Amino acid sequence: MKKSFWQKDGVIGYMFILPGVIGFLFFVAYPLLSSIYFSMTKWSGFDTPKFIGLKNFKYMFTMDPTFWPGLRATILYAVISVPLGLVLGLALAMLLNRSLPGIKIFRTLFYLPVVLPIVATSTLWLFVYEPQFGLANNVLKAIGLHPVEWLTDSRTALMSLMVIALWGVGSNMIIFLGGLQSVPSDVYEAAEIDGASKFRAFFSVTIPLITPTLFLQLITGMIGAFQTFVQPSILTKDGGPDFSTMLLNFSIYKNAFQGQDFGYAIAQVWVLFVLIILFTIIAFKSSSSFVYYENDSR
Amino acid sequence: MTGNNAAVTKRQPIRTGSVIRFLFLLVLSISMIYPVLWMLTIALSGSGGMFEVPPEWIPHEFHFNNFIEGAKKVEFGHVFLNSLIISLIVTIGQVVSSLFVGYGIARIPFPGRKLWFYLFIGSMMLPSIVSLIPVFFVFAKIGLYNTWWPILLPAFFGNPFFIFLCRQFYSAVPYSYDEAAKIDGANHLQIMTKVIVPMSIPLVVTMIILSFQGSWNEYLQPLVYLQDQKLWPLSVAVASFSGAYGTTWNHFMAVNLLYMLPLLILFFAAQKYFMQGLGSLNNSGLK
Repeated sequence: MKKSFWQKDGVIGYMFILPGVIGFLFFVAYPLLSSIYFSMTKWSGFDTPKFIGLKNFKYMFTMDPTFWPGLRATILYAVISVPLGLVLGLALAMLLNRSLPGIKIFRTLFYLPVVLPIVATSTLWLFVYEPQFGLANNVLKAIGLHPVEWLTDSRTALMSLMVIALWGVGSNMIIFLGGLQSVPSDVYEAAEIDGASKFRAFFSVTIPLITPTLFLQLITGMIGAFQTFVQPSILTKDGGPDFSTMLLNFSIYKNAFQGQDFGYAIAQVWVLFVLIILFTIIAFKSSSSFVYYENDSR
Repeated sequence: MTGNNAAVTKRQPIRTGSVIRFLFLLVLSISMIYPVLWMLTIALSGSGGMFEVPPEWIPHEFHFNNFIEGAKKVEFGHVFLNSLIISLIVTIGQVVSSLFVGYGIARIPFPGRKLWFYLFIGSMMLPSIVSLIPVFFVFAKIGLYNTWWPILLPAFFGNPFFIFLCRQFYSAVPYSYDEAAKIDGANHLQIMTKVIVPMSIPLVVTMIILSFQGSWNEYLQPLVYLQDQKLWPLSVAVASFSGAYGTTWNHFMAVNLLYMLPLLILFFAAQKYFMQGLGSLNNSGLK
């Protein structure tokens, strides 16, 4: 029996994935390819883009006073807050992995900040950091320390944004919990019989077995951190003191939709994109030395 | 201390150890959610409440009126409805389209499926701002600026992360199910809707929750596309309210709480799925 055209796997397969294919072509391929051209234009958004070669990039690297501080802030934000979030998330997951009264409530409380809308939590933190009567300074005063200008001091502004990111450590915690629970208990029993201390078992058994989870979170965490937008836009509106919180993604938004300088914004988009690819490649290259897969046959 | 000592002594102090761990977690979790509790305090206090030193933790009279006053200022009912409609449509679009794509890639052996799978996963790495600007101009050119369409339409073309989840889940389902259904004369559409998807209700529920949450929280897209305040969802309305706070922090915090409320309800109602769904991520790691 010969199948008709509409019954062939190839045709049916593509019909099923058609939404994804269209989405890929329009929301990924087209923007990527067209933005190579747009990055080399002067374009206000209303006029026709005018080709100017590499001038946008030249301006970015040599003239724009916001670019280098912003790039520095973007990289610092990602390479500090993401690993710190992983360590804290794992520590919390370890604490919450064994039974204890109210363990479910604890897990829920730690996960709660992750669920809340980021606009709502950012505005909440705006108030926490308020210098006169904000919560952060109330705590400092209560323990006898000097109040701090959290968001308007270039030494603390970026750190203040990182604290908000770490407040969402529950998302790391919950994924690590899943990872810890998938470690079979007989491995620990074997380690105990071999006389391994808890400390030793943690580094020799637990850590190796959850490295795939760790790695997955490192990659997704980095990609997410490089795209931070809401926090600087709500908390430090103009990129903070001395552009100390001028994160790239926010700077792109400002140049495009507030400055009407779309060509330049797209040039910055390329810098962000290359940055993400670079960090991902570094992570993947180094992963072979620390990520352990149980069935390495793939 | 050597390893042997630790193994021998570890059983006795288990009670005090648990107590310390419990207290530690208690302090830590309270400090974690303290800002949210504090927010509730402000939302319930009078206009001068938060200026008091030392601050009052429990206001001596509750100003429930703040919720009504704040809600009036942002036309809460209207904006809430906007958010609800947008989030529901986006959720339906993302989940249904991703189920199709995920099923297609996992269960139909067609040429090029591996390539497409990698293209979909790869596109997760693309910063959303890369597509935002070029796509913005396409939507603007066809007259859809300042409408909901640029936010709603993309949802129907699959969500790369959901496609990934579906593919991982459906690849693990034994093929004998398909074969049995095929013998009964079912085609792929029937196998998917009658056999495979009903087997994966936890996955579907997880996607519904994540999608609704993501859409409810989305800020950048509505900020860019919607000029008309009448079309704003809560995220943009709340953010713009925060810019104009003046002395009405208590009203603002009340609105902020109202904005969080649906997600809180969803979270507590579907806690099991939140925990399960994200836990299943581990088994589908980037291998």
